[in-house]
Amino acid sequence: MRIRILKAGLLSTIQDMGRHEHLSQAVPVSGVMDTLSARIANKALGNDDNNATIEFTYADAAFIAETDLLIAYAGDGATLSVNGQHIPAERPVFIPALTTINLIPTQSGVRTYLAIAGGWDVPEVLGSRSTFLTFGFGGFNGRLLKKGDILNSVDKTTTISAVLFERLKNTSVNYPAWGISLRDFELMDKKTIRVVAANEFTWFDKASITNFFSAPYLIGRQSNRMGYFLDGPVIERVKPAELLSTAVCLGTIQVTGNGTMIILMADCQTTGGYPRIAQIATVDMPKCAQLRPGDAVYFKQLERDEAEKLYIEREQQLQQLTTAISAKFL
Amino acid sequence: MLTTQLLLLLLTLYMHQPNDPRFQIYSLSERAITIAFGTEISESLLIKVTNCQKLLAEKPFHGFITAVPAYANITVYYEPLITIKSNLRGKSCFEKVSNYITDLLAQPVTENTTHSNTITIPVCYDDEYGPDIAEVANHHNITVNDVIRLHSSAIYKVYMIGFLPGFAYMGGLNIKIATPRKATPRKIVPAGSVGIAGQQTGVYPLDSPGGWQLIGKTPISLFNINNTTPSFLKAGDDVIFKPITANEFKTWAG
Repeated sequence: MRIRILKAGLLSTIQDMGRHEHLSQAVPVSGVMDTLSARIANKALGNDDNNATIEFTYADAAFIAETDLLIAYAGDGATLSVNGQHIPAERPVFIPALTTINLIPTQSGVRTYLAIAGGWDVPEVLGSRSTFLTFGFGGFNGRLLKKGDILNSVDKTTTISAVLFERLKNTSVNYPAWGISLRDFELMDKKTIRVVAANEFTWFDKASITNFFSAPYLIGRQSNRMGYFLDGPVIERVKPAELLSTAVCLGTIQVTGNGTMIILMADCQTTGGYPRIAQIATVDMPKCAQLRPGDAVYFKQLERDEAEKLYIEREQQLQQLTTAISAKFL
Repeated sequence: MLTTQLLLLLLTLYMHQPNDPRFQIYSLSERAITIAFGTEISESLLIKVTNCQKLLAEKPFHGFITAVPAYANITVYYEPLITIKSNLRGKSCFEKVSNYITDLLAQPVTENTTHSNTITIPVCYDDEYGPDIAEVANHHNITVNDVIRLHSSAIYKVYMIGFLPGFAYMGGLNIKIATPRKATPRKIVPAGSVGIAGQQTGVYPLDSPGGWQLIGKTPISLFNINNTTPSFLKAGDDVIFKPITANEFKTWAG
């Protein structure tokens, strides 16, 4: 299966679930920002969760099917449309060759994931197909997608993908009545981000901590795949100690020298020297991935064990979804 | 009243089970814990960190993904869905991994089993490659040749890889050339540049913004995505800088 990019959009890259084995050499994880949406798009096709997807940022993108396609998409950045006809998200969709697909803006999120049966075919670099833009490796030649790029899917697909393709194959766009619902994943309260106190939590003064848990913080303009700056009450230190560089990861909230907070995102460095106030619960990171500059968030404290429990529950829920789809089509 | 106080005291003691004085363990995320051996830069802490890394590589637990050494601690990444199903002691993954590592570190350490590699990095110190070398010399009231001699006569220790892929933080810099970072960082420091920041020295593996004082440049590549181990250096390595001429640099590169 093959597509050609007609309009690349603001920031479109190939991403999978990231590069995890070279963290000790300071190679960032990268990968999809909204792991939940990307995984749901893959699951809807019977793909492996780690298959490469296209991560679109906002809309303003379009592509043409150069062959018949079996695709699925998920994520709040855009909806897909063919000749003004809306294509539902979170389910497999058959697209006949020569169809043009447009991404239409939404008011709700940022990122949209386009999965294809078998996954997008780009070479693995250091064990992952994810693009790391800062140093230009991985993904599609280490760069943003641009107009004219031709993307192929991996020929070998799962049996589920093959079954879906045969059932949905048609002369026009076709999809089943069923779909996966992202709404089953407790993401309704988009403004509340649950966090666990980080190791340097006690380095900050009481008033700042009170603000942290009560004031709205706005996603700053200087926000990208590496991190989000937060605009809001300054976080003051009571402990002036220097922190030696130490590991940080997706969801770490650092406090810079001038008291500004940064949420570390997918392309973040593997180590950092700013004290850490909190760690965002992994289950809430997909919400963060859909935040726009100017969006307000509130932080709510969670115990470490609760965060772990939520993580495991979410993973089990996702596993059940895979099992259910397998049972339906195998 | 007294009983209540006693109970509270006992409870407090119970809640704060005497931590192993050799290290503290804290959670980084649901998928990572950090084992902290101290809060300063020292070779003895580096040995503890690399030893822990080695033990984990030899005996990984269920769900172990990777470990990231830093100056005075090591962070262990794991997949909770796998770890929670393991028969390690503890209710949560955090407890399971903490207990596992505590037991692992309780084993007697076989001394000096980790012999460090000594790696020589060729450096051209011409000002064309090290634009800040005169500034460093002026800062200390010494000559450029002194800076070269002092920088290339020490054996450095790689403490950690961080900041950029393959960027090695090295200690062991002679105090006579220790120089603060530049007030305004450069927008682009070319790959291969050798820099000084305080008492550390390092080499930029990739073009990137940076604030270190640049005193030279190496023609060799410190990060290569085509290698199974992309970083040329790793924590625990010994490093020597060998001065080369601009001609040697060019032939090396070409």
